[in-house]
Amino acid sequence: MGTRFTIQELIVSRAAKELKDREFVVIGQGIAMAAGVLARRTHAPNAVILTEAGLLGIDPFKVPLHIADPTCTRGFTYSCDMIDIFTTVLNQGYVDVTFLGVGQIDRFGNMNSSYLGEPGNYTTRMTGAGGAPEFIGYAGRAILTMSGGTFVEKLDYFTSPGYLEGGDSRYAAGMPEGSGPSVLITTRGVFRFDEVTKEMYLAGLHPGVTVDEIRAEVPWNLKIADRLETTPAPTEEELAILRSFAPDITMGRKLQLEVVMKQVINLLSKGA
Amino acid sequence: MEKYMDADKRTTAAEAIGRFVNDGESFVFANCLYCMPLALTHELIRQGKRNLMAFQQGGIEEIDQLVLSKVIDRLVLAYNFRAGGPRIVSPLDRAIKEGQVAVEEMTNHTLLSMMKAGAMGYPFLPVLPGIKVTDVVKRNGFMGNQRFARLPDPFTGKDTLVVKGFNPDFALIHVQRADRAGNGQLWGAMINSKWAALAAKKVILSCEEIVDTEVIMSSPHLTIVPSHKVCAVVECPWGAHPSEVLGHYDYDFPFRVLFVGSAANPDAAKFWLDEWIHKVKDRDEYIEHYVKRFGRDTLEAFRARPFKSVPADYGSTFSRDWDDQGYSRSMGMTMQEFVAMLDAKGALIDGN
Repeated sequence: MGTRFTIQELIVSRAAKELKDREFVVIGQGIAMAAGVLARRTHAPNAVILTEAGLLGIDPFKVPLHIADPTCTRGFTYSCDMIDIFTTVLNQGYVDVTFLGVGQIDRFGNMNSSYLGEPGNYTTRMTGAGGAPEFIGYAGRAILTMSGGTFVEKLDYFTSPGYLEGGDSRYAAGMPEGSGPSVLITTRGVFRFDEVTKEMYLAGLHPGVTVDEIRAEVPWNLKIADRLETTPAPTEEELAILRSFAPDITMGRKLQLEVVMKQVINLLSKGA
Repeated sequence: MEKYMDADKRTTAAEAIGRFVNDGESFVFANCLYCMPLALTHELIRQGKRNLMAFQQGGIEEIDQLVLSKVIDRLVLAYNFRAGGPRIVSPLDRAIKEGQVAVEEMTNHTLLSMMKAGAMGYPFLPVLPGIKVTDVVKRNGFMGNQRFARLPDPFTGKDTLVVKGFNPDFALIHVQRADRAGNGQLWGAMINSKWAALAAKKVILSCEEIVDTEVIMSSPHLTIVPSHKVCAVVECPWGAHPSEVLGHYDYDFPFRVLFVGSAANPDAAKFWLDEWIHKVKDRDEYIEHYVKRFGRDTLEAFRARPFKSVPADYGSTFSRDWDDQGYSRSMGMTMQEFVAMLDAKGALIDGN
């Protein structure tokens, strides 16, 4: 019998494999942080994790609530500020990898994390750009994960540059050669980008998922790789690390909300 | 720029906000996500300040609280934490839709660069140009063309993206410790704090603890806000609750969720604001109320356990030029011999 795991554990385990040893990786909260730490504790012990808040060389013992959450780091090796991270670290070319969570994405890996709704009449402000546009602009490559987001023909708002109109357009616009999204991992499969056209294609399926299910989520005529990989299940070792380090990520947002609400009710029940 | 030279600027949050904040002004949060100046923010709400323009790198609950209380009508923002994802309608969503607040989009790097340019007294600063292609640059909000411009690099001719320097009327910041004059020391995630505080025309500072200036002088590398920028200092334990302050307390997640949950519904939000802002007169009463409501143990459970930094040694070989025997280290003579030498060389002038 194989291992039993949650979909979040599968995504984190698959994303962690994209990170190599001795790389500099900038990480936000959630799935990305779990993937970075999992990689460090398995095949990439010398990877350096930084957050844009100015924490470099962190070794978190729990998943931070946000990029500035220092209570989970118990020290780090270089304390600087946000502008130092973008200039002296990112702009000097030290960041090999950035992880990004996706709200909306188009066929060339361009992303929206700012607004939902019609231009000029936006209904929802999502988190906003934060540091995403700069990190994806200048990091060596980007590992994208998507659990609640959507594929769209046209973005409601263009926040972060992927491959623009495809081909060489990204590099013609001045971003470093070779940079850009290298992979997108969703709750159903793994996507990559064509070397020449830079259009996204399906590269792999998670266990039990069919191509048709994925096609139903993608509004354009999605190209499919000749040979599709099947995402390997997380190992027992990976699951043990994840469940002790990142139980919040393991259980996913919906279940987490349930657990948190229990804590809140517990707090309120203390009321005098 | 105003220069604030008083040796003792200690006051209350109410006095500081009442005296130094005027309706219609612009301000910047010189903390984001971490160490939030929430005691000061709540005072803006309590005093009913209006038409303020806020700069914030990364909002957490304070933006929704200010929006719900109609304190701000313009917001320059790079990021706003969204609990529960885009399916839940937040107070900011409602305010944007109803036109109550105008939002200008920036990125973390470009918003902070506006502050850094302002802090350095420069009209503009170059920024990473990769975002030229995005809507962040292409779509103007209420600031119109007062954010980005493109210039040829004077040395290479290459197209360069620049942001305008900005000096907000005031900054709000919470730090671990400060002295009475307002030398503010912060450690942990530095984020935007230094540049946002230095960009502002004046800084309203709150701290967990007021310490003697000797403490500041023994650790000046931790000072991020110099006293001459600071118009008021407020000693305010738990002043950032429910956000965290390294070395003092962790974030209070259940309490934070309680606000986020309330904020999803306008009536519940009003109830929350009444209970935690309007019906308490200051941060002490807020904490008293918390303890009464949830118990002392619930609050104390968030206290940090120490993890001390190794102190830097600021010792030098000597602390004065004259040694214990009364000899000058630089001249090798006593004071008496020194004055005799001045006399012999004819360097002394007769007075009346």
